[in-house]
Amino acid sequence: MNSAQIIIQIIIALVAIACAIPGTFLVLRKMSLISDAISHSILLGIVIGFFIVEDIASPLLIVLAALAGIVTVILVEYIQKTGLVKEDTAIGLVFPALFSIGVILIAKNANDVHLDIDSVMVGDLSFAPFDLLQINCIEGVPDSCINLGPKAIWVIGTILVITLTLLITFFKELKVSTFDAGLAAALGFSPIIMHYGLMTVSSITIVGAFDAVGPILVVALMIAPAATAYLMTKDLKKMLMLSCFLGVFAAISGYWLAHVLDASIAGSMTTVLAILFLLVYEPIITSALVSISIAIAFFFYQYYQELLVHGVNFEHLPLGEKIHTVFSKFILLDFIYCIGMAVSLAGFLIYILPKRGVIYGYYKVQQQKTEIMLLVFLLHIRNHEEESERHVKHLNEHINWQRLRSKTIVDLALKNNMVTIDDSIISLTDKGEEFTEKAIDYIITNKDAEIEEMKDDFFLFRG
Amino acid sequence: METNYAITVDDLTVAYNYKPVLWDIDLAIPEGVLMCIVGPNGAGKSTLIKSILGIIKPIAGTVSVFGKPYKKQRSLVAYVPQKGSVDWDFPTTALDVVMMGTYGSLGWIKRPGQKEKKASLEALEKVGMLPFKNRQISQLSGGQQQRIFLARALVQNASIYFMDEPFQGVDATTEKAIINILKELRKAGKTVVVVHHDLQTVPEYFDWVTFLNVKKIATGPVKDIFNDDNLTKTYGINYKVSVQE
Ligand SMILES: Nc1ncnc2c1ncn2[C@@H]1O[C@H](COP(=O)(O)OP(=O)(O)OP(=O)(O)O)[C@@H](O)[C@H]1O
Ligand SMILES: [Mg+2]
Repeated sequence: MNSAQIIIQIIIALVAIACAIPGTFLVLRKMSLISDAISHSILLGIVIGFFIVEDIASPLLIVLAALAGIVTVILVEYIQKTGLVKEDTAIGLVFPALFSIGVILIAKNANDVHLDIDSVMVGDLSFAPFDLLQINCIEGVPDSCINLGPKAIWVIGTILVITLTLLITFFKELKVSTFDAGLAAALGFSPIIMHYGLMTVSSITIVGAFDAVGPILVVALMIAPAATAYLMTKDLKKMLMLSCFLGVFAAISGYWLAHVLDASIAGSMTTVLAILFLLVYEPIITSALVSISIAIAFFFYQYYQELLVHGVNFEHLPLGEKIHTVFSKFILLDFIYCIGMAVSLAGFLIYILPKRGVIYGYYKVQQQKTEIMLLVFLLHIRNHEEESERHVKHLNEHINWQRLRSKTIVDLALKNNMVTIDDSIISLTDKGEEFTEKAIDYIITNKDAEIEEMKDDFFLFRG
Repeated sequence: METNYAITVDDLTVAYNYKPVLWDIDLAIPEGVLMCIVGPNGAGKSTLIKSILGIIKPIAGTVSVFGKPYKKQRSLVAYVPQKGSVDWDFPTTALDVVMMGTYGSLGWIKRPGQKEKKASLEALEKVGMLPFKNRQISQLSGGQQQRIFLARALVQNASIYFMDEPFQGVDATTEKAIINILKELRKAGKTVVVVHHDLQTVPEYFDWVTFLNVKKIATGPVKDIFNDDNLTKTYGINYKVSVQE
């Protein structure tokens, strides 16, 4: 790692945090789209600023860009207030208009200057470390400047400090106005002020981050970590911290992915963000797919290197043939290794990920069924004094269960110390007695209070 | 003896997108009553409450709370919005929602501390929701969510309580529990205004009633004005409701 790489990583980490904070509130307010709108509209601000001062580095551009973002929000609100269209439609009407004016202005007037759409849309990280903030420069005297380090760090750092200060100061106001705007208004915390405050911070963050990472990645960094964190926790503070963490993680691992693959940084980061989201949204399937891909890529890369050493010339081959050449060298053992690696990786991922998703949902339903069965079984034992009804071997006849099921249930009860078996006769333990009583009580009265602590162990009582 | 009015509304007109939904409302709510507002869906009941609380700006008219503008009297007023007006998937716990009731007395920037937490726990206890204090709010049943909202209003420790359909979707037990709390509030000299849909229970629960349907139809003691005539004027069809003498 050289110092330029370290600086780039610091910049993207700062950008990720600065984006994740307003992003969390945008996601909670169901306003994700507005970040997309702002990130496009600010182009108009930049272009107009450029025509005024003819200098792409002028701070006026940032001011005008942020202003354009706020104008977008105001316009969207205005159109929405007419009651003719919904918010998403209003957003869809406003930002393409502002964006296209920006594009037309560039195309008509700025053909010869360094302000082309590509550089505006993708952003450029590679030069960020060399764009230094210098002050006290004396005209004509070389090396007279005081060098303060990369400009991007100063810009993003300042924005981040402001955002954090605002967040900590107004956390309670932001929370209440996001959750219940009516109450916030009644209590005197104007939701309108909070709304425009959040929009201003979002606009400024987007503008500040825009230069370094481009609008698409800015939107991704605002929304994806927050949306992922939303699925992982039900606590606002944790959600904020998780969004920041996921954003930084995706940014840095995306950066290295781009480095390894020699691909676009923005593209790699967005890919990592998408994978993170999917891993949480549907952990089991995604873990499996990701693990298989990683395992294959791992072996592929080894063979690729080996073949390169052996002088195979890949340069002129089309991609399909390259892949074919490498794969044709695979032997059976490799596939077995590959599967082994994928399985262990997937197992690890599934173990550490939050439990959600389709397959887990199925598992949970099965689990609930088993627990109902357990309860039926315990009730049966409790209600019958006679030994014939409590004999291990005759359970299935009496409760009308299949043998296999009876066995599973008895095992489960034994494992939880709810029953004992004496001479093939099942009896309830004290714990089993207590559990059954509480569970019946719950089912009849539907009063939750009693079994609140037991719920974590048993799905049955949830939801 | 002169009556003290908790709320006076003069010539209030409210419009959404320039279409008035409340026309020229005059209303005076005496201090210490337990009042319900009745009227059909879309009558403007929620809108009336929201404009009294300054959540919606009226296009005409004035509202005063104990003789002063609402803005100066915020701390005297507590509010329970209609349950559907918030996102119950919001990442927070029951206790945290109740704590929001204390934000008003804290003002800007200051954070809730031990005192606020204690008050919130007491309010949860009062509505029988203490065991659920750490539950994520989406995992509560509809009636439990309603109780959380009630606890949040209680913790505001106000003189006037506005509640928008607190009985919506709650079972008979919860309804009794809520109305008992409301009656207790009235006993303590508080004024309680409730949007209510179940006309059968009006005479049993409330002592004051306002009929509303875009215009104010009538307002006064339940025993004097809760009759077929006013119900018909409000709902448009003939209602037969047995009024307890
Ligand atoms: N945000 C809004 N924008 C436009 N119109 C609205 C808005 N909110 C309410 N309205 C309209 O205003 C009228 C009064 O609404 P309000 O919510 O006050 O009725 P309500 O009496 O509380 O009805 P309900 O019993 O269904 O709660 C309705 O016709 C409704 O369609
Ligand atoms: Mg209503």
